[in-house]
Amino acid sequence: MSGAIVAIGGAEFTMRPENEALHDYVLAQAEPPNEDALRICLLPTASGDPHDQIVSFHGAMERRGCVASAISLFRLGVAPIDFAEHLLAQDVIYVTGGSMVNLLALWREHRIDEIMRTAHERGIVLCGYSAGSMCWFEQGVSRGTGAPTSVTGLGLVSGSHCVHYSQDPPRRDAYRRLVESGEMKPGLALDDHAGVLIRDGEVIETVRSREGSAAYRVEPGDDVVLEIPLESRLLETAAPAVEPGLAEMRELRRSRSGSRRIL
Amino acid sequence: MTAEAEDSTVVSFPLMDSRQIVAFGGGGFSMEAGNPLLDTYVLDLARQRRERPRVCFLPTASGDADHYIVRFYRAFPGSTCESSHISLFRRDRGAADLREHMLSQDLIYVGGGSVMSMLGTWRAHGLDRILAEAWRAGVILCGLSAGSLCWYSQGVTSFHGEVHRVRGLGLLPWSNCVHYGTGQGRREAYHELLQRGMCPGYAAEDGTALHYQGTKLVAAISSRPEAQAWCVGDRGDQVVETAIPTRYLGEQPKAGDASAGDLQAVA
Repeated sequence: MSGAIVAIGGAEFTMRPENEALHDYVLAQAEPPNEDALRICLLPTASGDPHDQIVSFHGAMERRGCVASAISLFRLGVAPIDFAEHLLAQDVIYVTGGSMVNLLALWREHRIDEIMRTAHERGIVLCGYSAGSMCWFEQGVSRGTGAPTSVTGLGLVSGSHCVHYSQDPPRRDAYRRLVESGEMKPGLALDDHAGVLIRDGEVIETVRSREGSAAYRVEPGDDVVLEIPLESRLLETAAPAVEPGLAEMRELRRSRSGSRRIL
Repeated sequence: MTAEAEDSTVVSFPLMDSRQIVAFGGGGFSMEAGNPLLDTYVLDLARQRRERPRVCFLPTASGDADHYIVRFYRAFPGSTCESSHISLFRRDRGAADLREHMLSQDLIYVGGGSVMSMLGTWRAHGLDRILAEAWRAGVILCGLSAGSLCWYSQGVTSFHGEVHRVRGLGLLPWSNCVHYGTGQGRREAYHELLQRGMCPGYAAEDGTALHYQGTKLVAAISSRPEAQAWCVGDRGDQVVETAIPTRYLGEQPKAGDASAGDLQAVA
């Protein structure tokens, strides 16, 4: 059975509760054998492998008891690895945002596109946000070359996909126009903090980690483009994680001032 | 003007080739903090085109690393040139603008990093063709490491661990090896690739740069007194390295020093 794909309209590896809920949702889709620690690998290719993103990812995943790693296509000199061997040993592969154009060009250059297909066939969970969400579909709307245009993805999920739907009006307008003209296939639009779970090409459920985030099915209508809202489940957000040092400092201040005001 | 008059003004002698490439084996602001000799050399070339030259940095091979872009602007400040950079990961220019910007430059400076990732990204944006066009239009191209290998038809890269062959843009019909002689098996791997049919070419040690007009090497220069550039080819039974007279750009060593300028064949 091919693996689950979790597409997210926009998120980050920060400790904001919305993001934390989406991380947990992604990890819940994987079933590591023998209850081993879950192995998750980050591909930060689309944004040129920024160091801070890799560090945040490690933080977010290691807090959850995962064995986290990252493949940086721009800094392999330091630690060369066998892409296929490493990626196919994962439970989850996480792809972050940036330029979808560059992401796919680089994957082709390093033959990671083929490895991703194999990973999917072998049941590894594939997920990502922004460019890392659109890459799994047949088509995505990328701003990687300036104006929003249709870019061909890996096609593991049929149809098109648009991210940052309510957050990026020019992208939304372009997507509607491209779907209306037939240049892009009908597809799925996701706001930031909205995600879909796809198994065997079918949408299993739509989730959101923030109240206002929505998901839509976008398809040509009789005279206008149809934007059909999809019902989504609000994920329970864990209490915001607070740095131990910060909690201690707050406690200290409270005890000193005698005030119960939360800083 | 009549056709006749036009004909009479046709002068058919070869003009100096305006296409220029300066390929660093390793050096410049990326690798030699406090030693601006190679950067000054390319900036001086650009000054022959414009008093305050336009210099554009391409940090693609580093994944457009912020710290690298900042270092470029420090090395090429607004007081010496009109500097800019193009980020293909955070692109805000359209296709026409990208081409126009590159063609309006006097010097295009390509940074180091992963040559494979860089070439793949360039192709996705059509920058490979734009750079070839800029070169033909007389825009000076330069760069170090990945930014050197890319101009040749073939290069030796060890960026991904083991050393292997990479196909460049092919503006220079030679092969190239950078960071020559600094270990990591590059020299040995280059020789092996030459014996397996790689076209002959040029090897540049850290601190050296190869200056081409058209496809012809016109100068080898260096930012370090001892750094050396080499012409390397397979002569059938063995690989032959020929030292290229390499001019040190700093203060000239005193007379009586080893004759670095003499052409010497080393087997």
